[in-house]
Amino acid sequence: MRDLVILFQKEWRENTRNFKILWIPLIFIFFGVSEPLTSYYLPQILESVGNIPEEAMVGFPEFTPSQILMATMGQYQFIGMLVLILGFTGTISRERKNGTGTLLYVRPISYLSYFLSKWKVVSIIALTGVWLGLLTSWYYTGQLFGPVPAGDFFAFAGTYSVWILFVVTIVLAMSAWLPTGGAAGLSLALILFVQIVDSLLGTYWTVSPWKIATYATQWLTGSPDTSDFWWSISVTIVAIVVLIVFGVWMSKRNASKTKV
Amino acid sequence: MSAILEATQLTKIYGAERAVNQLNFVLEEGTSTALIGPNGAGKTTTISMLAGLLKPTEGSISLNGEPRADVREFIGFLPQYPQFFSWLTALEFMEMAAKLSGMDARSAKLEAQKTLEFVGLGEALKKKTGTFSGGMKQRLGLAQAIVHKPKLLLLDEPVSALDPVGRREIMNLLKSLQQEMTILYSTHILNDAEEMTDQLLFLRKGQLVEQGSIGDVRAKYDQPRYRVEFGRPEDAQTFAHQAPWAMQVEGTSGIIDMTNGLPMMNDVLRSLAESGLDVRKAERQTASLEEIFMKVAGQA
Repeated sequence: MRDLVILFQKEWRENTRNFKILWIPLIFIFFGVSEPLTSYYLPQILESVGNIPEEAMVGFPEFTPSQILMATMGQYQFIGMLVLILGFTGTISRERKNGTGTLLYVRPISYLSYFLSKWKVVSIIALTGVWLGLLTSWYYTGQLFGPVPAGDFFAFAGTYSVWILFVVTIVLAMSAWLPTGGAAGLSLALILFVQIVDSLLGTYWTVSPWKIATYATQWLTGSPDTSDFWWSISVTIVAIVVLIVFGVWMSKRNASKTKV
Repeated sequence: MSAILEATQLTKIYGAERAVNQLNFVLEEGTSTALIGPNGAGKTTTISMLAGLLKPTEGSISLNGEPRADVREFIGFLPQYPQFFSWLTALEFMEMAAKLSGMDARSAKLEAQKTLEFVGLGEALKKKTGTFSGGMKQRLGLAQAIVHKPKLLLLDEPVSALDPVGRREIMNLLKSLQQEMTILYSTHILNDAEEMTDQLLFLRKGQLVEQGSIGDVRAKYDQPRYRVEFGRPEDAQTFAHQAPWAMQVEGTSGIIDMTNGLPMMNDVLRSLAESGLDVRKAERQTASLEEIFMKVAGQA
């Protein structure tokens, strides 16, 4: 496992030197700020732009604090997911394509360490971004709309973190398996498309990794059904482990496709 | 001497094409082997299999007599176009490479520095590899292949992409490594192979068409002959008529074939001296590797 430490350092250097460690969290923080602020100032913004009749302004909806946090997460569920997919989809496939992987694969590394070094760094960046973003959103929501209890917030953000780990693992496993383009396409399908399918047809089942985000928001308004919630969390963790095993296997199998 | 690596019936098939077909060869410890052949002969595929990057379709590679060893522990590998992480400095990359091959942090740093100086990159330790020229990348590639002192060094076209100066320098570095490591390198530049080779492996269309020491191969394909140069073309013509052996005349020079061992050089010189003609030069010629290469590569 010593090679895990060495490879982790390499991944860390890569992501600090290409500034992903900076700009990916910044995008999440941006939505953490903009969601509460624009919701709060929307009436004033509309007024200053003009042309909105007085009567229309009267019926303008009042947001609850938890709705603002949910809306922030809603932004992450689309734009945040796109950023994670497009930002990390080449993590393994690109090293094969441009040949930089070759000089790693001919050394006695274990592919478990190779995959996990990447998984750890990408998870750290993604979770840092999501947590900083949600904490920012929580702070502004508290200032502008009213308090959300800390217990509710941490249950919400903690549950959502499991989903983020699931997403990161999908992206890396696809990158280990396919060339960059295919990895991006299949990740998009598995993360965004399946989620839509799950929400449309998903009334027939209650246990699914794609329902984790919904269960996360239920902590803000009450609490999700205990059995469904824990089953979904367990299934997701098993899925993460299976995807990691798949990713390690594919990294090893595809090492021969590296450019020499 | 003992065999460090033995390839038996080594074969790689891509679809219907046999990129490498049933190679059998042995690398003896401490020797240098040149893998030669025209482009597309299967040199890179062969080296990739030896390096453990490609799995042979058939056949096996045994290392120190062990058939299923993880070769990666024992080898240093330089690909034809080594690619580096552009955001790492040369020293950072070398330290990582040394540590991944099992060296502890202290000796990794020390050896990384020493090796970079050895290949002539002492001035570029702290430079990002993304700024390196082709020649510098080739040196760094060699440095990372030898930093952990591997038993077996596999080099894919180590000098083909370099200018004459760089080529000479890298060849000299390789020669100084011959004492410490077993080396296998591929090349299509025959002069390089001629310089440091105990064994030649000729590949053509995935087949091993010729193998042996440079002396053996030369003896097999050599066409020994004498070349005599005269002052004027007439002298050459005159001598061709006088001489007791057949001589082919080309301008001012003549070629006397001696495939059967005759005539002796002494006889040629005596007869030249007696002729009283204007002789400029007389020499015994052997086929260059280049000519042998053309012969072997051109065989039907």
